[in-house]
Amino acid sequence: MMNEREVSQPAAPQAQSQPSGPSNALIKLVDFSAYYGNLEVLKHINLSIDEKRITVFMGPSGCGKSTLVRTLNRMNDGVPGFRTHGQILLEGQDIYAPEVDPVLLKTRVGMVFQKPNPFPISIYDNVAFGPRIHKLTKSKVELDALVAESLQKAALWDEVKDRLGKSAWGLSGGQQQRLCIARALAVKPEVLLMDEPASALDPGSTSKVEELMVELKEHYTVVLVTHNMQQAARVGTNVAFLYKGDLVEFGPASDVFENPKSPLTEKYIRGIL
Amino acid sequence: MSEDLVRAAATATPTWKHPGVVANHRLRKVRSLIVGGLCVACVVAILLPLGDMLYMFAYRGLQVISIARLMGSPISSTPGIGNAIVGTAILTALSGAIAIPLGILGGVYMAEFSSGGRFSEALRFAADVLAGVPSIVLGYVCFLAFVIYLNFGYSALAAGIALAIVMFPYVFRTTEIAIRRVPESIKEGAIALGSTKTTMINKLVLRFALPGIMTGVLLALGISLSETAPLLYTANFANYNPTSLFHSQLGYLTGVIYLFYTSNLPFDVQLSYLATFVLIMIVLVLNIVARIGLKRFSKI
Repeated sequence: MMNEREVSQPAAPQAQSQPSGPSNALIKLVDFSAYYGNLEVLKHINLSIDEKRITVFMGPSGCGKSTLVRTLNRMNDGVPGFRTHGQILLEGQDIYAPEVDPVLLKTRVGMVFQKPNPFPISIYDNVAFGPRIHKLTKSKVELDALVAESLQKAALWDEVKDRLGKSAWGLSGGQQQRLCIARALAVKPEVLLMDEPASALDPGSTSKVEELMVELKEHYTVVLVTHNMQQAARVGTNVAFLYKGDLVEFGPASDVFENPKSPLTEKYIRGIL
Repeated sequence: MSEDLVRAAATATPTWKHPGVVANHRLRKVRSLIVGGLCVACVVAILLPLGDMLYMFAYRGLQVISIARLMGSPISSTPGIGNAIVGTAILTALSGAIAIPLGILGGVYMAEFSSGGRFSEALRFAADVLAGVPSIVLGYVCFLAFVIYLNFGYSALAAGIALAIVMFPYVFRTTEIAIRRVPESIKEGAIALGSTKTTMINKLVLRFALPGIMTGVLLALGISLSETAPLLYTANFANYNPTSLFHSQLGYLTGVIYLFYTSNLPFDVQLSYLATFVLIMIVLVLNIVARIGLKRFSKI
């Protein structure tokens, strides 16, 4: 896939370390920059997201972590003035190439949002929404099975199996967020992007969602945005620290938290940034 | 602080026992009662004439009501308003068929597809102005345009179009407002699942916005049922059923009310009362159906 956009000169070399381990890089960002109009919000990012691992994007408010995660499924496309330089390769294919269909991309890269956003329809219909619009199943029986499977994967099945027809808005916050996870999983994506999925939840629900993330990485590649460092240390395989649009440091969680290479990272970890 | 001040502070009366505060509290209660009473009086002042009016039309209308009177026409052996009921139904159906789809599509466009620039501002302004134009003026314009220029003649179609123009801004604006009320988070959730914008609108947004849209539709239908002047200009009035959409006049309830009330024939006057009663009943049923429907949809 030829990228026809101009690739600008890279800035000063950044601290980046490729994590070692038996996983492949599923997504590679190659000198990727993003702009809102003239404002450069992501600056020459180079990083790899490993398959079936949890990659964490971390950093203070305004560092660009949410923007970055949204570029991975092209959710920023609709924003006026948004443009990109560089490439994001999903299995070697640039997702910003003109011939790529952003709608299809979103079936490969799913997303869960910070505030749970279930649709005002039944629990069943919420999970079935994606499969229905993409016609993933051929019969009601298949759809029932897919809905059940997705709810089980999201650790919600036992709590809702007797009330699938009830409105999703009747669930608690933690349940709603797991429903949103089930809904995203029903489309069978390869990657699941989670933008601070637990920050609106109480501690009990938060730990449930964290346990869920660790289970999910067995089958899906997870990218997690969080400002909660303890959460990042608990569940993250690889951690990327961003500051004002720059990728300051990237590596295995243990390296980043215990032996940070950059003084900025160290300041952030110690809470003095 | 001096000891005197400290002593004074310790023995001072608490705020809630302070005579000034107590007096103010009593005054507040009295004021509250007076204003409350005035509000109730205003409501009664409005409801009394309404009740009286409903009673009068029910009484006079029910005096002459019968199946025969509800069918037939003023010139049949048992004079009735059947043709007027049919005419009103035809006009409502025609105008609804034009204004409702156009209004909803227009509202969807404004809320979801327009870029918010000067064109959409102008469009919105034009719709608001249209809503403020007196319906008699719209009727006259349609008379010139459709009855004369396009040679429809006095016809159901010309009247239907005139009514549709009256109705359109209401459906248009309420649809846009109802759709804008759908939370962005819901739409984002759908897009993130790989939904196209049209699917998102058809399967989620319209469903969520339906109560608001229905309110606009019912408002518009209520308005179309109550129009007289534009219909007189475009459909004239007839005592028989129309034979075609063009060059064929028809009767309608508001026409009966207007034209027959001043008639010399006493029976015509009674038909006028009957038509009023029937029209009130139709509007009442419409509103009841609407409320039931909205309640069911709002159970989401």
